[in-house]
Amino acid sequence: MAAEGKVPTLAEEYSLPPKEVPVEKPAEEKSTTSTVAEVVPQKDTETSPADETAAPVEEKSETPEVKEPEAEEAIPSTEESDEAPEETEEKPEIVIETAPADFRFPTTNQTRHCFTRYVEYHRCVAAKGDDAPECEKFAKYYRSLCPSEWVERWNEQRENGTFPGPL
Amino acid sequence: MILRSLECRFLTIALCDAAEPWQLGSQDAATPMMQGIIDLHHDIFFFLILILVFVSRMLVRALWHFNEQTNPIPQRIVHGTTIEIIRTIFPSVILLFIAIPSFALLYSMDGVLVDPAITIKAIGHQWYRTYEYSDYNSSDEQSLTFDSYTIPEDDPELGQSRLLEVDNRVVVPAKTHLRMIVTPADVPHSWAVPSSGVKCDAVPGRSNLTSISVQREGVYYGQCSEIRGTNHAFTPIVVEAVTLKDYADWVSNQLILQTN
Repeated sequence: MAAEGKVPTLAEEYSLPPKEVPVEKPAEEKSTTSTVAEVVPQKDTETSPADETAAPVEEKSETPEVKEPEAEEAIPSTEESDEAPEETEEKPEIVIETAPADFRFPTTNQTRHCFTRYVEYHRCVAAKGDDAPECEKFAKYYRSLCPSEWVERWNEQRENGTFPGPL
Repeated sequence: MILRSLECRFLTIALCDAAEPWQLGSQDAATPMMQGIIDLHHDIFFFLILILVFVSRMLVRALWHFNEQTNPIPQRIVHGTTIEIIRTIFPSVILLFIAIPSFALLYSMDGVLVDPAITIKAIGHQWYRTYEYSDYNSSDEQSLTFDSYTIPEDDPELGQSRLLEVDNRVVVPAKTHLRMIVTPADVPHSWAVPSSGVKCDAVPGRSNLTSISVQREGVYYGQCSEIRGTNHAFTPIVVEAVTLKDYADWVSNQLILQTN
């Protein structure tokens, strides 16, 4: 944990301890680690930007990048590639997977969920560099959750330096 | 011939997934949520009939006996502790019996903490809908996006419902947890599919979530439920539920179409 000596944040209190064996339940593992790792720096960086680098590093160690979806859903996507032989050479593989449910946003209003994922991605990139593989999942999350119009507008705002979020 | 027509009328197994003329009652349930809503409706109707019969009986009896010839001296009860206690306690018990299943359904309906398999964004415009399937994106620009316009009134093909059919349907897999993100680009909209028991308002600048899990394959029709301008009546919603495998096929075909 980044906030080891401090009073645990609300997010830490309610999150499950990160599991070291991600083999049995990839979906559960992914959501818990992402939340634990990211909620903490989000609160801390307002005061000390030094934590920013620390958080994604330890996140890398505990998230062994689970990319495969649940077992029964992986089957059709693999079948599908050999079903239509006339266009197999260019058919992209479909992985049925999306942003997990997040306990920080248990309400109908998911505006903040999308925004937070967008900020998380760009903070991750800022800390780890442009092509860090562990940031890619946040990109997938915010693309799943945010209307593309919003993403376009935010990208523009970031270029102009008028983005309102904590980047 | 007669047998055939009777068979069509009474032994039909096609379920009702669209509004029909002079329809009473709900469309057939496609999700557990809608099944719950229908069951709750029936539960409440039990109490409703009970109260209706009881109150009508009291009313009719009072009117019947309030008669100068048969009852020249009317009853003059103005106070009674027992009956007042009964008529206070009994309705509150009825309300309790309605409230318990109602709240149970209400809270089970926002099952936001179930991990969904697919996220679909329904973006309302004046006057069409855009659907985004962004789980398969690898950049901000490239995205599986399409617009869904209504088939105009003078244009439907045989078998299509008037003002209910669209050119591009939302394809979803059946028996899968779906996360619908509903948001508009201009004015408030609404995304409603009665068979799925979903009605989600779309508010500008906000994205609302509703989760559905369609239990059977089929084509489900819905209409906008937020009055929002001249073409309000002309933005239907058509959800086509297919098997997961067909869905994956559809997505990959769409991705090829969009990239080419």
